[in-house]
Amino acid sequence: MDALLRFLPQVWFIILGLFLFLYVMLDGFDLGVGILSLTSSDEERRSILMTSLGNIWDANETWLVVMAGALFGAFPLAYGTILTALYMPIFIMIFGLIFRAVAFEFREHSTHKFFWNYAFGAGSFIAALGQGFALGSVIEGISVDAAGHFTGSTWDWLDWRSTLVAITLIQGYVLIGSTYLILKTEGELQQTHFRTAKIAAITTFIGAVLITIVTPIFYEAARTRLFSAPLVYVFVAIPILGLLLIGLLLTSLDRQEERTPFVWTILIFLLSFIGLGLIVFPYVIPNQITIYQAAASPSALVFMLTFVGVLIPIMLFYNIYNYIVFRGKVVTSID
Amino acid sequence: MDIFSNTVALSRMQFALTATFHMLWPVLTTGMSIYLVIVEGLWIKTRRPEYYYHARFWSKLFLLNFGIGVASGLPMEFQFGTNWAPFSEAVGDFFGSILGFEASMAFMLEAGFLGIMLFGWGRVSPLIHYLATVMVAFGANLSTFWILVANSWLQTPAGGEMVNGKFIVSDYFQAILNPFMVKSVAHMFLATLETSLFVIGGISAWYILKQRHQAFFTQSLKIVLATAIAVTPLQIYVGHLSAEQVAQYQPTKLAAMESKWESSPAGQPADWSLLAIPDEANERNKWEITIPNGLGYILEFRKNLTVPVLGLKAWVKTDRPKMVGLIYYCFRIMSGIGFFLAGVMLWSVLQWLLGNLSPEKIESQKWFLRTWILAAPLGYIAVESGWIVRCVGRQPWTLYGQIRTADAASHLPASNVLTSLTFFAVVYSVLLVTTLYFASKIIGKGPNLELPLPGLDGQFVLNTAPAESIPDQRPVEAQQ
Repeated sequence: MDALLRFLPQVWFIILGLFLFLYVMLDGFDLGVGILSLTSSDEERRSILMTSLGNIWDANETWLVVMAGALFGAFPLAYGTILTALYMPIFIMIFGLIFRAVAFEFREHSTHKFFWNYAFGAGSFIAALGQGFALGSVIEGISVDAAGHFTGSTWDWLDWRSTLVAITLIQGYVLIGSTYLILKTEGELQQTHFRTAKIAAITTFIGAVLITIVTPIFYEAARTRLFSAPLVYVFVAIPILGLLLIGLLLTSLDRQEERTPFVWTILIFLLSFIGLGLIVFPYVIPNQITIYQAAASPSALVFMLTFVGVLIPIMLFYNIYNYIVFRGKVVTSID
Repeated sequence: MDIFSNTVALSRMQFALTATFHMLWPVLTTGMSIYLVIVEGLWIKTRRPEYYYHARFWSKLFLLNFGIGVASGLPMEFQFGTNWAPFSEAVGDFFGSILGFEASMAFMLEAGFLGIMLFGWGRVSPLIHYLATVMVAFGANLSTFWILVANSWLQTPAGGEMVNGKFIVSDYFQAILNPFMVKSVAHMFLATLETSLFVIGGISAWYILKQRHQAFFTQSLKIVLATAIAVTPLQIYVGHLSAEQVAQYQPTKLAAMESKWESSPAGQPADWSLLAIPDEANERNKWEITIPNGLGYILEFRKNLTVPVLGLKAWVKTDRPKMVGLIYYCFRIMSGIGFFLAGVMLWSVLQWLLGNLSPEKIESQKWFLRTWILAAPLGYIAVESGWIVRCVGRQPWTLYGQIRTADAASHLPASNVLTSLTFFAVVYSVLLVTTLYFASKIIGKGPNLELPLPGLDGQFVLNTAPAESIPDQRPVEAQQ
C-alpha cells in the first residue's frame, strides 16, 4: 500500500508533465507564429501565418485546459497555491490567450484587419510572457506556510530571474514557430523563417545556458540535488545532448532542410522538459511541497487515472489525425 | 463593508461576471451543433444541395461563437485556483477530477474534430466529415454533462463527507449520480437546444421577412419547428421536476424563489405568490399578488400540502440566501419565457397545419415572423435567469450545507481582484458587442448558395442544381 501511495502521485507527475509538454510544444508554435506575425509587414503573409494555425490552435490550447483540470484533480493543494501565488501572470496569460483567440474569429469577417492582426500578435506575445513569468517563479519557488498555503505577496513573481525565464521562453516559442512555418510555407516566406529560426536558436541557447548557470547559484536546494549522485550524471548528460541538438538544428537550417529543424526543436524542448522535471521532482512546488503532500486521495488518483488514462492515447490519436488531414503547405487565402 | 475592499465579494462578482458572459456563447454552439448534425445528415441522405448550404451557412455563426466561447471560458477553470483556492483544496478529489474529465473527454473531442468540421470539406470524404460533425456535437454535449455533474454536486453533495475541512469521497459513482444530476443535465441540455432553435428560427424569420432566400430559410424554420415540438413542452416538464427537487433538497432556495417568509404547515393549502416586492430588511413582501391555494397545486398537483413548506424566517439570516428579489424575479422570468416559447411553438405548428407556412404564403405572415424574431434572444435570458436562481439561490453555501462561500475564497489583496475584475468587465463587454457586430455582418451577407459541392470522394464538384449559378473559382480556404 505504501508503494501505491508513492506510485500514484508519481504517475500523475509524469502525466501532468506530458500534458504540459504537449501544450508548450503545440501551443508554443502557435504563440511563436503569433509573435512572428508582429514583424510581418504585408497582409498576405499574415494571412498565410494565421491560416497555418486556423484548424489547430483551438485543439492545441485545449491541452492547457486539460493540464489545468488534471492538476486540479491530482494535486488540489498545488492547484490552489500556485494559481493564487501567480494571480497576476495567470491573468496576463489568460487575457493574452483571449485576444489571440478572438483575433482568429473576428479578423475573418472584419474589414479593418489591421486591428485584429495586432490583437493576434500582441495577444500571443502577452500570453507567452505570462507563461514565462509563471514558469520562472515556480522554478524559483513560492513562499508557503506549513500547510502549503501561499504566504507571499502580489509581486513575488517579478524579478530578473523570472524575467530571464520569460524572455527565454519567448525565444523558444519563436524558434519552434519558425521551424513550424518552414514546414508549412514555401518560397520567400520560408526563407524568412530559416533566418528567424537561426536567430531564435542562438538566443534560446544563450537563455538556456544562463538559466542553467543561474539556477544552481541562486538556489541552494537545487545545487545540493544537482551535484550529488545520481542526478549529477544526468546534469552532465543533458547539456551535452543539448549542445549536440543545437548543432544538429543549426546544420539543418544551413542545409535548408524542411522537416528536420522542427524535429530537432521538439527534441530540444523535450530535453529541457526532462531536465526541468528532474530538478523539480519530487516537488510540485519546488523545495516546499512534494507531490506526495499535495496529492489528492489515492482513490481520487485512481478514479482519474481510470478515465483520463484511457483517454490519453485516444486524444493523441485524433489530434494526430487532424494534423494528417491538414498536412502540406498552406495555400494563400487572399485572392 | 466597503465592497471594493472585500475580496470575497469581488471574487464572487468576478466569477458571476465571467460565467454570465461566457455562457452566452457555448449555450448557442452546444445546441447548434445538434442542428448541424441534423442538416448534414439530411444532406448525406438526400444529396439535396440546400442542406449542404445550410450546414455551411450556419457553421459560420457556429465558428464565430465557438471561438469566443473558448476564449471566454478559459478563466472559468483557472479561477477555481486563483480565487477559490481553499475550496479547490477541499473538494479537489471529486470536483477537480470532474473538471479534468470534462477537459479531456469533452473539450478535447470538440476541439480535435472542429478543424475537420469547419475546414475539412473537400479534404476528407463526406462520411468522415459527418463523423467529425457528430463528434463535435457529442463533445459539446458531453461538456454540458460534466459541468452539470460538477455543479449539481455543489447543490446536492453526495458520495462522501467532510472530514477536517476536506471532502472525502467514499463512492465516486454516488457522487456523480448525486440527487440533482439527472434532471439538471436534462434541463440544461434542453435549454441549450431550445435557445439555439429559437435563434436559428428567429434569424430564418428575419430573412423571410426581408424577402431574401425565402424558400431556403423556410426550410430551416421548419426543421427548427419540427424539433421544437418535442423540446419546448419537455422543457416545461423537466423544469417542473427541477423545481420539485429544489423543494426537496434546497428549501432555502425554494423559499427565496417564492419570496416566502412565513412557513406553511402540511395538511393545509397555501397561497402562491404571482408578483411581489420583497422587503428583505423587514422580512416580508411590501406588496403582493397571490393566487389563493396555488402553492399546493404547483408543487404537488393537489390543494393541500403533504409536506410543510418553510419560509425564509425559519432560518437565521446567515443561513439563507440574500438578494431574494433577484432570485424571485429571475425564476419568474425563466418560467415565463419557457411557457411563452412553448406557446410560440403551438401557434406555429397550427399555422403549419393550416398551410400558412408554404413558400407562397409565409411572406404575408408578418406578425408570425416578427414573433419569431422577438423570440430569438429569449432563450438566452431564460438560461441566464435560471443560473442566477441556481447559484445565487444556493448561497451562502458554495458546497450546499458544507462549505460557506466566505470560507471558500482565496486570501488575496482586494486590489488584485478588483484589477482583474475591471479588465474582465471591459474585455467581455467589448467581446459581446463585437460578436453581435460580426454576427450581424455574417447574417447581412447571407448564405453563399453557389459553393461547389463536395462529391462522394470528398473532392469538390460543380453544383449542377441551379443552372444559372456561377461556380466559385477561388481557392477553398477563401470560401469559408
